[in-house]
Amino acid sequence: MKRPLYLLPLLALAGLRLAAQPSFEGPAPSTVPEIDEDRRRAAYVRRVDEMLGWAAAGGKARTDDPAKLDLAMIAAKIVRGEDLPGCSQRVIELMREPGTGPFWMFPTVCIAYLGRDRLAPEALASIRTAWKTTRQQRGDTENHFVMYYASLYLMAELYPDESAETWYSGRSSAENFAEASAFLIKWIETNTTVGQGEFNTSNYIGEYAIPLSFLANWSKDPAMRQRASMMLDWLFAELATSSLNGVLRGPHSRTDEGAVIERWQAMTSFFSWLLFGNTPPTAGYSGWGLYFAPLAKSYHLPEVTYRIATDRRGDFIQRDRARVRRLWRYSDELSPPVYKTNYLRHDYGVGSTTGGLIDPIQSHVWDVTWAESDPRGKHPTMFSLHPHSSSRAMQSSFTAYPEPWIKGVTFEGKPSYDSPDKLMGSSPYEQVFQDLDTVIALYAIAPGERFPHINGFFSKDLINVTEDDSGWIFAQGGRAYLAYRPLAGYHWIPYLHYKSGWAKERLDLGGRVLTSPHLNNGTIVQAASVDEFTDFAAFQRAIRALPLAFKLEPLPAVEMTTLRGNKISFTFGTVPQVNGRAVDYRAWKLFEGPHLNAEVGGRKLTITHGRLERVLDFNTLSVTNRVK
Amino acid sequence: MNIRHSLLLSALGCALPLLAAPAVSAAPEYEFLIAANINRNYVIGSKIVTTNGIFRRDVAGAWQHVGYNDTGISAFAFDPRDRDVIYTTTTNGLWRSLDGGKLWRICNDSEMTEGLDVAVDPNAPDHVYLALPDGIAFSSDRAQHLERREHGLPTRGKFTRALAIDRTRAGRVLAGCEIGIYLTEDAGKNWRQVLPTKETVADVQQSPHDPRFWFAVTQSAGAWRSADGGLTWVHVPAAPGDRPLYNVTFDVTHPNRLAIGSWGRGVWTSEDGGQTWTDRNAGLPAGARVWRVGVDPAGRLFASVVQETLFQSADFGRTWRPDALAGSAVKKFLLLPKAAK
Repeated sequence: MKRPLYLLPLLALAGLRLAAQPSFEGPAPSTVPEIDEDRRRAAYVRRVDEMLGWAAAGGKARTDDPAKLDLAMIAAKIVRGEDLPGCSQRVIELMREPGTGPFWMFPTVCIAYLGRDRLAPEALASIRTAWKTTRQQRGDTENHFVMYYASLYLMAELYPDESAETWYSGRSSAENFAEASAFLIKWIETNTTVGQGEFNTSNYIGEYAIPLSFLANWSKDPAMRQRASMMLDWLFAELATSSLNGVLRGPHSRTDEGAVIERWQAMTSFFSWLLFGNTPPTAGYSGWGLYFAPLAKSYHLPEVTYRIATDRRGDFIQRDRARVRRLWRYSDELSPPVYKTNYLRHDYGVGSTTGGLIDPIQSHVWDVTWAESDPRGKHPTMFSLHPHSSSRAMQSSFTAYPEPWIKGVTFEGKPSYDSPDKLMGSSPYEQVFQDLDTVIALYAIAPGERFPHINGFFSKDLINVTEDDSGWIFAQGGRAYLAYRPLAGYHWIPYLHYKSGWAKERLDLGGRVLTSPHLNNGTIVQAASVDEFTDFAAFQRAIRALPLAFKLEPLPAVEMTTLRGNKISFTFGTVPQVNGRAVDYRAWKLFEGPHLNAEVGGRKLTITHGRLERVLDFNTLSVTNRVK
Repeated sequence: MNIRHSLLLSALGCALPLLAAPAVSAAPEYEFLIAANINRNYVIGSKIVTTNGIFRRDVAGAWQHVGYNDTGISAFAFDPRDRDVIYTTTTNGLWRSLDGGKLWRICNDSEMTEGLDVAVDPNAPDHVYLALPDGIAFSSDRAQHLERREHGLPTRGKFTRALAIDRTRAGRVLAGCEIGIYLTEDAGKNWRQVLPTKETVADVQQSPHDPRFWFAVTQSAGAWRSADGGLTWVHVPAAPGDRPLYNVTFDVTHPNRLAIGSWGRGVWTSEDGGQTWTDRNAGLPAGARVWRVGVDPAGRLFASVVQETLFQSADFGRTWRPDALAGSAVKKFLLLPKAAK
């Protein structure tokens, strides 16, 4: 990321010392896979050391003032054996004002374990005291629960046989341990049988990976260590199949305004950098990433996963399942299944779910995302959505009163929720079908809905955008040709960028939003590689020649033949057909594709690349590697 | 803080048999408590920088914090036999203190979350009912153990926002759920629907003056009244019905007074037992966005206005003046009869 030059004199005047974050500030890394295992491991260790060094040298505070040490910096110093008395003193200070939930719990667990034989007894006691005096919120989402219970599990193990009145929960160590253990085992059971609720998140991956790494290293129970280690492999295998040169692309159960547009700006990019070395890390290693660093050297990424993540020579398609977060109200099912399609090619990826309400605020249903040699600052993506804002949807997923919360969530890291030009979120009025690199998104928005239009994103990084007389809009992004077909009239509005989920201010960085104010509506996007055509004009001719018929009344319906020769028939509210055969979603496996395979209910994931295979079997808590 | 000497003996329901007669003069003394969240910008994990939770109104009219500082308390209740036994519902579920708020115990595991209401049966005080987003839990041992009691509730549609226990008979409870009001007469072993709705029932209350008279408010179906102990319900067309109604309260000093708090309709009152209703928002902040209304032991009407402060009215809504707790959101008003332990 380029640091604005004009800031440098100001920072110098302020006397701040800029702690180097070399990989963030340097050139983008090569995306050529490192085949030599020793060199690959050495590079991984260097990345870990870079993180620890940056954090120990001041991290985001850019200062070595002991009074400004945060828990991540203290963790790094403990690992490096630096200034342990100062760390102890700072821990005592920080524990005087404890936080109140999982985002405070897991950092303190990190310090409690790292500091067991390094920090002063008074410092360790201060952590333990805070776990008595301050009530901890368990939260209301899957990642909250995982962080909360992994932390509680480890603290109960660290301080066994202690009485109920010594814990904030009013439960004994044994009771806390039993409760936490039961949750963690059930969570793993659910994920390995029907899929994750918070699937393919752009930023919450750390909230799973970090507690799992703690459990994999620090749990006294070998079975829990094994479960956690296997879940880490599972999590990173999904990242490997869902990222293009380290950059995650859609769909996502949860994301934020920044990450859905500047695709690299996500914690997944940090993990891709650390594990795969194929993209730059995010600023400050996404903050939480620093808590993965202390134990990172104990994790050995399976070679098969590395190869999946870095080998983009061939095309592949994965069809996987996940599940919707709990819908407390106004739904026939508590956690309906989600069907994901991911098609990855060398130059771009296309991903989708079938639409509908997934997460009421933060989900992202589909996109085409193209590869960029340096993804920093780029907006390499194209998609459309219905900007749904709804009291009823909020009521489905949350127990809070929805009316004040519609405005309230805009102050809680979801600033766009009630904005008509938003580009994040799912809608009950959207249905999507993807066939390879063709996406058909149909919309039947109910009359009276708050935002009676759809938005399509057109990036500043597109070139040769052409509104063709045929009705198609042609463009090129990176080495991908793109054809976007709005099914109803539209106009353009400027795209205003949220830098992150917490940034309410908006920046005009370029780009446009195609806004189509029609209730019955639709979008077709067809992608192709530049290598497939002699030139852009040839791509356009091919698209114009595709058989296409559509109507919007009484419901949107499309019949078309894709660039890949498949005949698609898709009407809103019905099951799509491919070459005359209805898609049978109920038959979909938990994972199915060349790289990940698992049966629904099977508790077993087979990870494959070429001749390499790794089987994570939660039935037997065993891992099997083989070369076929 | 030790609230042994500051909290009152029992939940409203436990002493309400004393109020079955309409005579106001015979009413015992009360204390007035609220659950308030004053930490507007709190997000999960952050340090709590304000004081939140249960507050008791002292004789000088000031709000005294009692118990635990928690930003997420949605409801609270007391054991009618022992003022030191306190129950609170929060995001974590259900918490219980046996010593007046010094030590607390989380009563549920991960299978129950986001407690929405709690009620103690005044005629079986060991019995505790917990409203959950996916049903109802019951304890026969002061919440030491909780079990689901949902037979008769729908598989889907059992989101439960409110619980109200009939003070005339042990084990008789009404629950405000996603698709209506449900009644049990055997301590939750069996439930049956007594009022169907399309969206959530937000509050159900029993009159302190006539135990047969009940009132309920809903997300989208307006207000309803029952004159036969909750067996049958009649729509109240004069009450606002086009916006969500969040709660209803009776006035313990006056048998015909009720008030409703609403998002979008603000405060509405009735002084004829719910037959007619009057908009009482003049003098309150614009927007008519009210979390809760409550009536104190002297008949003063209180309104918690979203993003504002607490307001009080000495003339049942005709005029208003700001009270304290700026920035608060009151989740529950509770009137407790004063009594010795």
